[in-house]
Amino acid sequence: MSSPVLQAEGLSKRYGRRPALSDCTLSIPPGRVVGLVGPNGAGKTTLLHIAVGLLPPTTGSIEVLGGLPASGTAQLAKVGFVAQDTPTYAGLSIADHLRFGAHTNPGWDRQLADDRITKLGLDPSQKAGKLSGGQRAQLALTLAMAKRPELLMLDEPVASLDPLARREFLQGLMAHVAEHGASVILSSHLVSDLERVCDYMIVLVASRVRVAGEVDDLLASHYRLTGARRDPADLPLGAEVIEDSHTDRQSTMIVRSTTPIDDPSFTVEQITLEDLVLTYMAQVTGSRPALEKTR
Amino acid sequence: MIWFTWRQFRTQTWITVGLLVALGVLLIITGRSIADAYAAANVAACSGDCTSAVDNFLYEARKGTNGIVYSLATAVMYVVPALIGIFWGAPMIARELETGTHRLAWNQSVTRTRWLAAKIVIVGAAAAATTGLLSWAVTSWANRIDAAAGNRITPEVYGARGIVPIGYALFAFALGVTLGMLARRTVPAMAATLAIYVGAVAAMPLWVRAHLAPATHVTPALDLSGFDQFSRAENGEMRITGGGGPSDAWVLSNQTITPSGQVFTGPANQQYCGPNNGPQACIDWVGTLGLREDITYQPANNFWQLQLTEGGISSPSPYCSPDSASGGPVDASPELPTTEPTTPRLRTASPGAHVPQSVGT
Repeated sequence: MSSPVLQAEGLSKRYGRRPALSDCTLSIPPGRVVGLVGPNGAGKTTLLHIAVGLLPPTTGSIEVLGGLPASGTAQLAKVGFVAQDTPTYAGLSIADHLRFGAHTNPGWDRQLADDRITKLGLDPSQKAGKLSGGQRAQLALTLAMAKRPELLMLDEPVASLDPLARREFLQGLMAHVAEHGASVILSSHLVSDLERVCDYMIVLVASRVRVAGEVDDLLASHYRLTGARRDPADLPLGAEVIEDSHTDRQSTMIVRSTTPIDDPSFTVEQITLEDLVLTYMAQVTGSRPALEKTR
Repeated sequence: MIWFTWRQFRTQTWITVGLLVALGVLLIITGRSIADAYAAANVAACSGDCTSAVDNFLYEARKGTNGIVYSLATAVMYVVPALIGIFWGAPMIARELETGTHRLAWNQSVTRTRWLAAKIVIVGAAAAATTGLLSWAVTSWANRIDAAAGNRITPEVYGARGIVPIGYALFAFALGVTLGMLARRTVPAMAATLAIYVGAVAAMPLWVRAHLAPATHVTPALDLSGFDQFSRAENGEMRITGGGGPSDAWVLSNQTITPSGQVFTGPANQQYCGPNNGPQACIDWVGTLGLREDITYQPANNFWQLQLTEGGISSPSPYCSPDSASGGPVDASPELPTTEPTTPRLRTASPGAHVPQSVGT
């Protein structure tokens, strides 16, 4: 179980001249709940669609659970996917959807599917088109879960849900992970959605991966420094400035450093995951107008 | 996939079955009255000159309800393939791409190739079975009328009989599926399917069908007992078309030619064909000129050869035609779609299908 669930090398996708994903290199360890976060249009959907084989990459290579995406029945059976806007067949009932899953997936867990629908209080004879957004998302999640995949990928599953439905959806997902131990990759443009559930984070901005790593490692290696005004260039070795702002007297910097910052002239603080992610997002959108234009 | 394809097309299937049953009942009821008329007119028992028996039968068979059902049944045979293309073919893939459900379907443990193959084979077979059944019913229902009228090979009747409707249905279905993949939107795909189907069905008798089986060419002496056209202009120019060719043939061209092979255009001899003469004097004079009819036609017994070839062309099947002698026009046919290009086309279609999502994430 130590080989990565997703390994990408120099993965790129272009639509004409517009890059949707640029030079993406990732190695995601197994057993994680991975948050893929970035603003709208950053390339999250492109990356996930490449990973499930809905899109071919322009250049680069990708392996998911050691195989090429959508390369055959066995590969398809190992990966579950809940697409953006959680598509379902509006004219078909919940029971029809479950039967569809049972007919098309050799590893279908009927017990799991039926239990979930019962627990959610859904009527199996109801048409999917009549469900609320939250219920439809739960149905799509049930379909993806009941095929018992090793890796479950979800593309902005809670984006259109109200806060209560959001919480229920994520609770259901986490309960499944706790029970069956699948790896999960979950995308969102809101860090707050992911903060509570993810132990691995990928920040994708303007088609590029800005930072990726275990949440604990990321939190342990990023600091906010506040002190008398000074040039970011003369910081201790090994500290990389992600963001800096200065007033006449004072400098505030967010830095990444593998070793603890031990500088008495600064007040050193831990930062929250949300701050960390927003810093990386702001870094690109703020200081690179050229990239901003391509979005 | 078999169950799911059935589930997705269940409603259409019941509607189709309902309509088939309704039409079947109509055909059975009117079929009896036609059989009665056939017996009453004594067509089967007649010997020698049967013209009046046949005319009596045709008059009875084509009047009132029977006549309406006759026209309806012929129209249905042209309309059903179009409906299959529009309502079965075009939405099949387009609706999945339009509503995004392909992202659900393609992430079950079934490869896209199998997913597509199952849909095409099952719905395609249903299309062939539906039109086959319908055409069999209509062809047998109209059998006596067609035989009496001897017009089975003329374009309007020909296209509504035999196996050609099956070919058209499969063509329309493949057309709808392909256009649906390309357009990725249901309604434009439906409209384009209808437009191209109408064009193809009109183009077949106009330009293609006549070349699918060897036509017969004859030059008999001009028959003075009946003309399709006989006119003389003030300036002496004449236009004559004989009534030639077998009465049950599909006449492709008929010109009146002089003994030297030129198309006859006059001039009229004013002594016989002047304004003061009756038509008979002019006809008698024409009879002295040694004119011949130059007729090209498809004889009635080419019906099945034409049907097999045309059915083969219009069906998007890997084999083209069971008749290699007429393989030329088959290969040259511009409307021959095959199912082969659709599978890779689907793959190349999928990237584009996601462009909007990736942009707007």
